[in-house]
Amino acid sequence: MKSLGCIFLILSLLMTPLSLLAEEEYTFDLSETEKKPYHFAGYIEAKPLLFGLDRDSALYKLRYFDNPQGQTQLEGNGRVQLEGSFEKNIFRVYAKTNTDLQSSYSGESERSTFYEIYASAKPTTSWKFDVGKKTMKWGKGYAWNPVAFIDRPKDPDDPEQAMEGYVLATADYIKSFDGPLTTFSFTPVLFPVYDHINDSFGNNYNLNLAGRFYFLLYDTDIDLLFMTGGSKPDRYGMDFSRNITTNFEVHGEIAYFRNSRKNVVDATGNRYTVEGESVSSVIGIRHLTSFDLTTIIEYYHNGLGFSGDEMKNYYGLINRGYDSYKSTGNTNTLIQAQQLAESGYVRANSMKNYLYARFSQKEPLDILYLTTSLTGMMNIDDQSWSLTPELLYTGFTNWEFRLRSGIIVGRRNSEFGEKQNDYRIELRIGYYF
Amino acid sequence: MIKKILLICLLIVSMSSPVFAVDGKALLEQVDRNLSPESYESYRKLINIEPSGAKKEFTLFTVKKGVDKVASLFIAPASEKGRSTLRLGDNMWLNIPNVGKPIRITSLQSVVGGVFNNADIMQLDYAVEYDVEKIEEGAEYLLYLKAKTKSVAYDRLKIWVNKDKKLPTRIECLTEANMLIKTLYFKDTKDFGGGIVRPAVIETDSPLYKGYKSVIIMAGVKKRTFKDEVFTLTFLPNLESLR
Repeated sequence: MKSLGCIFLILSLLMTPLSLLAEEEYTFDLSETEKKPYHFAGYIEAKPLLFGLDRDSALYKLRYFDNPQGQTQLEGNGRVQLEGSFEKNIFRVYAKTNTDLQSSYSGESERSTFYEIYASAKPTTSWKFDVGKKTMKWGKGYAWNPVAFIDRPKDPDDPEQAMEGYVLATADYIKSFDGPLTTFSFTPVLFPVYDHINDSFGNNYNLNLAGRFYFLLYDTDIDLLFMTGGSKPDRYGMDFSRNITTNFEVHGEIAYFRNSRKNVVDATGNRYTVEGESVSSVIGIRHLTSFDLTTIIEYYHNGLGFSGDEMKNYYGLINRGYDSYKSTGNTNTLIQAQQLAESGYVRANSMKNYLYARFSQKEPLDILYLTTSLTGMMNIDDQSWSLTPELLYTGFTNWEFRLRSGIIVGRRNSEFGEKQNDYRIELRIGYYF
Repeated sequence: MIKKILLICLLIVSMSSPVFAVDGKALLEQVDRNLSPESYESYRKLINIEPSGAKKEFTLFTVKKGVDKVASLFIAPASEKGRSTLRLGDNMWLNIPNVGKPIRITSLQSVVGGVFNNADIMQLDYAVEYDVEKIEEGAEYLLYLKAKTKSVAYDRLKIWVNKDKKLPTRIECLTEANMLIKTLYFKDTKDFGGGIVRPAVIETDSPLYKGYKSVIIMAGVKKRTFKDEVFTLTFLPNLESLR
């Protein structure tokens, strides 16, 4: 019995240091949180890409008619984003630069610009004023935002990318209440379009006025939005977002455009302008399961989009131009097609009706910080589609590793079928500092 | 004889019944107030620890007002800096500067990964979300809580409360069927000044994440009042101005 007690004592003594070691000390020094009047941060990204080309597609012919490519194409991309701010009393200045570097079949290129640079004044918690270049990012949709009247078009293939802003002057007024209307805010925007100021936006020499009224009413986010002034046809919109249950959200947007205009070609290649009112809308859901699978589904109706026949006429124009170039060397028709491309034909989701579905599983197989996703987008009008599987790992502090591929499927004369690629594989390595 | 049997039955029933000498609701409200003032600001460091010992840290600045308004701003690491979250009752949003517009999130999601979810990070007063079903009294009080609505992240909680300090020492988060989701351990009670004495460290583990552990370390907890307008979507990108 004594020997048992002895063994127990020895074991206890042996175990004691281990249990002490297991009791880890955690420290948090408040100096780590000290706020400085200035801040500086950045992001560097390397993104090699491999494209599998569809050399029979219309958009391949349009781009490479005088410079034929092989089956695949490699491209190297780099991105550097720097941001900084300085704060004093109620004033703050903020700037964010973006530099895109590219090495591809056509050589090397570099483009640097300020994504945002503005000054703010915040005299009270209810009022804030901003002047400068800024992104507004209006709307509730994930892949599409028809009510984002003063933002550059989002890339539905990569909707979470930072975007370049516009030069504007804006204010925020916020008021909270008790009762069903919890919050009201108003964001007026003065939006100039002149030579060298937002001149890519629309008609020059106009001072446009836009605004957003926000309400949190009966636990529902509601925005009423408008833009008027002459650079683009007047537009009015509404969006909403609401949690039906804690893990099920529904959102939507609707935008009405007065006198919208689009340039189209007929079956013989004649160019004409279609004018009229149009309505674009998005309706979507976001759902989370108990095992961390997030589903986002959206339907998008693009009232300004091209019909199936209008797209077929355009692809026909390219094919005729390509044949003409091959037989005579004449590039006139292809140049006309390139001009039409810039006016809307090759923009992302340039047709009428689309379906978007994204399934994103967080920490599959209990691998912390890993997210696997599958994103599908379908053109409902011509049943062409794309599928994008993706792996994202964020386990190393400030590093982000993303591997994804895109498979593009569609018959001839369909939107995805006439894209210049059949597939692409992309690796993105990002570092934040 | 019948009288004796009735008396014995009465004794047995009274011994097995929960102790109602303590007002459960008042005790829970006391625990809430001891954990934090009704309106306050604080800094928190969240550490996710993997079975290999690898760690990932997040630092948050948090402000709270009243019973249902909480907002947090990530100030580290660089990859998360500027992200902010807002909770107004059952409504929760996440604002990612690059994405721009705040998106609605749910209480079961986790913006940081690991064992802590959004409900843990944007915790409201327990008395706001739970009713006390019963109390057991031993060396500590043991409170059995039931969620007031289906929208609360955990259907049931078991809270062990230190009798002298009226502070929690351990909380078990359970499903409606009493399945354990995670356990929170409250440690290192510290005087933050201004009459705030509370645990500075909250550790958590979960049978759903075997071998993983997450820790919250509190610092700079102090009473502070805010205007309601701070807790709005429009103000969310400007939380930094409160620091």
